Amino acid sequence: MAAEAISRALRDGALEGEHAPALTIKDSIHAPLGAFVFDHILAQLSSNISSSKSQAQGIVLVAFARSPQFCAELLKSKANDAASLKKWLRIVDCYTDPLGWKIQLAESGIVSNRSTQNATTASLCKNVRDLDMLFSSIVELGKEVIRETKGRFAVAIDSVSEILRHASISSAASLLSNLRSHDQVACLFWLFHSDLHEMKASSALEYISSMVACVEPISNTANGKGMNSENLPLIEQNLGRGEFSVRFKRRNGRIRLMSEELHTEQMGINFVPAFEDHVTSQSLVPKVQFNLQLSEKERNDRAKVVLPFEHQGDGKPIQIYDGRRSVSESKTENKETNAEKMHVNEDSGRGEIIYIRDSDDEMPDSDEDPDDDLDI
Amino acid sequence: MMSSNSANNLLDEALGFNDDGGGGGGGLLLLIEDRVETSGAFILHHLIKRRISSPNRPNDVVVFLSFAHPFSHYDRILRKMGCNLGVQKENKRFVYYDMLNLNYPEGEQGAEDLLLSVYGKIQKTVELCSSREGYKNSTIMIDDISLMEVALCGSSNLVLDFLHYCYSLATQFDCLVIILNHEDVYSTVDVPSPLLQMEYLANIVIKAEPLATGLATDVHGQLTVLNKGICQGSGCSKSKIRNFHFRVKENCVEYFYPGSRT
Amino acid sequence: MAANKPRTSSFSRNVGVVPTSQVPGLKHGPNGTVFLSSGIADLDKILGGGFCLGSLVIIMEDPDAPHHMLLLRNFMSQGLVHKQPLFYASPAKEPRGFLGTLPNPVSLKDDKSREHDTEQEKTLRIAWQYKKYFEDQNLDSQKDGKVEYCSDFDLRRPLDRHALSGQCIDCVSLQDCPNLATLYDRCSTFLAQIPRFDGNITLAGRISIQSFSAPQCHFSDKEWDMLSFIRSLKSLVRSSNAVAVMTFPPTLVSPTVLKRWQHLADTLLSVRALGSDEDKDLAKLLTGYQDMLGLLNVHKVARINTQVPVILEATTYSMKLHKRRSLVLECLNQAPVDGSSGTSYATSGSCSVSSKTGAFDF
Repeated sequence: MAAEAISRALRDGALEGEHAPALTIKDSIHAPLGAFVFDHILAQLSSNISSSKSQAQGIVLVAFARSPQFCAELLKSKANDAASLKKWLRIVDCYTDPLGWKIQLAESGIVSNRSTQNATTASLCKNVRDLDMLFSSIVELGKEVIRETKGRFAVAIDSVSEILRHASISSAASLLSNLRSHDQVACLFWLFHSDLHEMKASSALEYISSMVACVEPISNTANGKGMNSENLPLIEQNLGRGEFSVRFKRRNGRIRLMSEELHTEQMGINFVPAFEDHVTSQSLVPKVQFNLQLSEKERNDRAKVVLPFEHQGDGKPIQIYDGRRSVSESKTENKETNAEKMHVNEDSGRGEIIYIRDSDDEMPDSDEDPDDDLDI
Repeated sequence: MMSSNSANNLLDEALGFNDDGGGGGGGLLLLIEDRVETSGAFILHHLIKRRISSPNRPNDVVVFLSFAHPFSHYDRILRKMGCNLGVQKENKRFVYYDMLNLNYPEGEQGAEDLLLSVYGKIQKTVELCSSREGYKNSTIMIDDISLMEVALCGSSNLVLDFLHYCYSLATQFDCLVIILNHEDVYSTVDVPSPLLQMEYLANIVIKAEPLATGLATDVHGQLTVLNKGICQGSGCSKSKIRNFHFRVKENCVEYFYPGSRT
Repeated sequence: MAANKPRTSSFSRNVGVVPTSQVPGLKHGPNGTVFLSSGIADLDKILGGGFCLGSLVIIMEDPDAPHHMLLLRNFMSQGLVHKQPLFYASPAKEPRGFLGTLPNPVSLKDDKSREHDTEQEKTLRIAWQYKKYFEDQNLDSQKDGKVEYCSDFDLRRPLDRHALSGQCIDCVSLQDCPNLATLYDRCSTFLAQIPRFDGNITLAGRISIQSFSAPQCHFSDKEWDMLSFIRSLKSLVRSSNAVAVMTFPPTLVSPTVLKRWQHLADTLLSVRALGSDEDKDLAKLLTGYQDMLGLLNVHKVARINTQVPVILEATTYSMKLHKRRSLVLECLNQAPVDGSSGTSYATSGSCSVSSKTGAFDF
């Protein structure tokens, strides 16, 4: 739900004269699943782009934390149409040589030149400290990917944390904000690790964005510093799942909150509605000897039971059990069987109430006032 | 009792390394965190031995940046474990860089240039090695990242840059990067904590800690191995956490589950 | 139970500690290491033989008491007795003055009497099997005639003047040092005169730096510079035949830097004075509380050329004066309530004065 809503918003892109929708994805070390969410959203958007469903006609991916090859592989494996990748994907490679060391070494002849070459659709950024240059290369690649048409492109930044390591909060924020207001940007989204920065950085990024998606650990016990053997299973669980909550800042000025649960799986991630999640609710209910809930069959059976007053007036003699048995019946029946049956309806297809007396100790109901001995 | 001499012990199992000392590869970062009370250096020794003494990978090198101890220290320890570092050094399979006296000249730029030159040496070694036949993967080890910070007078950002370069080299040449840092040094540091950055970067984190009950002669501490799993393309292996106790001996380390020893 | 009895046996590591016969004051330890004496026989035993050549020993001071000075004095005096070159730096304006306060070894005559004294105790209390060992011990220490590996120092008597003359003693005032680079250079020049380790040690040096981070030093607010200095000093010492002992007040550095210092130390000790409020409980718990000068904590023992940690049976010791003149260390006879002194060590002394006989077999 929440993830779909995000994907829709990014797909629909910017309205004329308004800023592009921007999404912040943030996580922390206790539930480090932000990268999975990023990949998921990137894959969704790219499938929308390749099938021309989205406003954006291409993506510029700024790769800080993972190699461009890795990103390209990732998209290839997820996209239905791997061949078209080149048409709509450009990568700014801030991973391979962010400070220009490799170039320097190659120029001075210390190492061979091949390490700086790569075959993908990436353009190398050799100085990530210069955010103006980064901005212009993003825009340049964006224009290239939409082939100088009037269209728009999407921007994805895989780690704002890395930018913040090299630049101040304000210059990072201005980069993001300039991209957002650029008239050829359809949408943008970025990932950052909130616990690596001061609160200020987190607030600044959230301020700039129109959607904030936050991955948090489900069980809070893991937040404690201690990694002792008792909470290891919990920590392990948090590495595989998290609570995914999204805050949409809507155009009408309202805020919409959505939340669901996030599971990692063999092939990426899976979102499940947070509160109707059967698997987790069952695992959360303690194992007990008796059932706390009815099974599906039991629930159906219960629905079939006709309550005593329901059949009245359908032609049969009215029998209201008033706690007394008729004098004729009671004497014989009482001796013969422990089980006392009262047929509500002969129709076997419908339910009936069967009363089985637990033991002889239990006296048959009588009209004796239970409060007889009550002395007021 | 499992010892490091047997094919696989609890540590190797938790790391997911296979029998020939390999596994991982493909750009992995392994972070070891220890404390004043419990040193994690023995894990480095174990891994040096694993990576170097495998007959299946005769062309792989271990590049070792030493900030903590001189070569003779490692040589003596590894010899007791049945691995002759001196010979491996001759064979260029163990490439030892003495960083004990690394000190940067004045100025921020000086520090960066210094790291650049250190990185250049690593890249050169790895490139050279990768061009050999039968290359599988190399290992880059740094025995004390916190001392690297000291050598750079606290500019941990540069240390992270350096690590990033090592990591990117590792993705390119299928290397394993192994670093040791001290957890307790950062316990009072406000954000941004360099250790946390390294934890984000790492694929595997090993924490060496004392037992809550203190040190004993037969249990020297506990290890918690957090293996984040490897993501390649589409598939991801699941993250795992293992916890067990250890006892360090001269020639090996014993790993065992709490209470499993008599 | 008198703790000076097991002192002689329980802490020695199971290694053949053979005296280096040519060089007084040095003996071989395990893994190709060489020990020199701390100047306190008990501390040597606790540490498995003494301070390792090439190691950096850091002592965390008690900010309210000068116990670290006791350790420093014995360390320095021992070096002078063995004619080892000495480097001394302190925040004082005139560090050389400190040399006048160094203790003198107990004279031969006194020594004999003490030897005799303890000998008697031993015969009384220790089974006959061990006699042989004690004879060996004494042989070890007296082999070189006058000079023992570890002398017994009389804290009341200052070192003879002639012991100081003609010796290589380098004194530096930390206050006068404009920066740490100068101090490093001084250390480096000092160590350069000691021949480097080439398997055959002829001479060992001692560096002792007192109250390194004292506030009156110019560099005391430059935490990274200090760390950098300690790191460089450590590397320097590691490659020479010397031991550096450095004391510092831990309360004056930030917690994270303190941890870094602790990591940098090969051997980490701390001293603590008694008498604060929380010690009142201690007084009830411990036998012989009145005689104690203070507490010594062993946090870390140098691990050179080995990966095996040294696990001590006890980490907290009481400092006492034997016959009101020489410093002895004893295991506490009761567990302290919480003996930690501002540091995070949860492992305060376990106090079994063990009867383990350790190093020798019957």
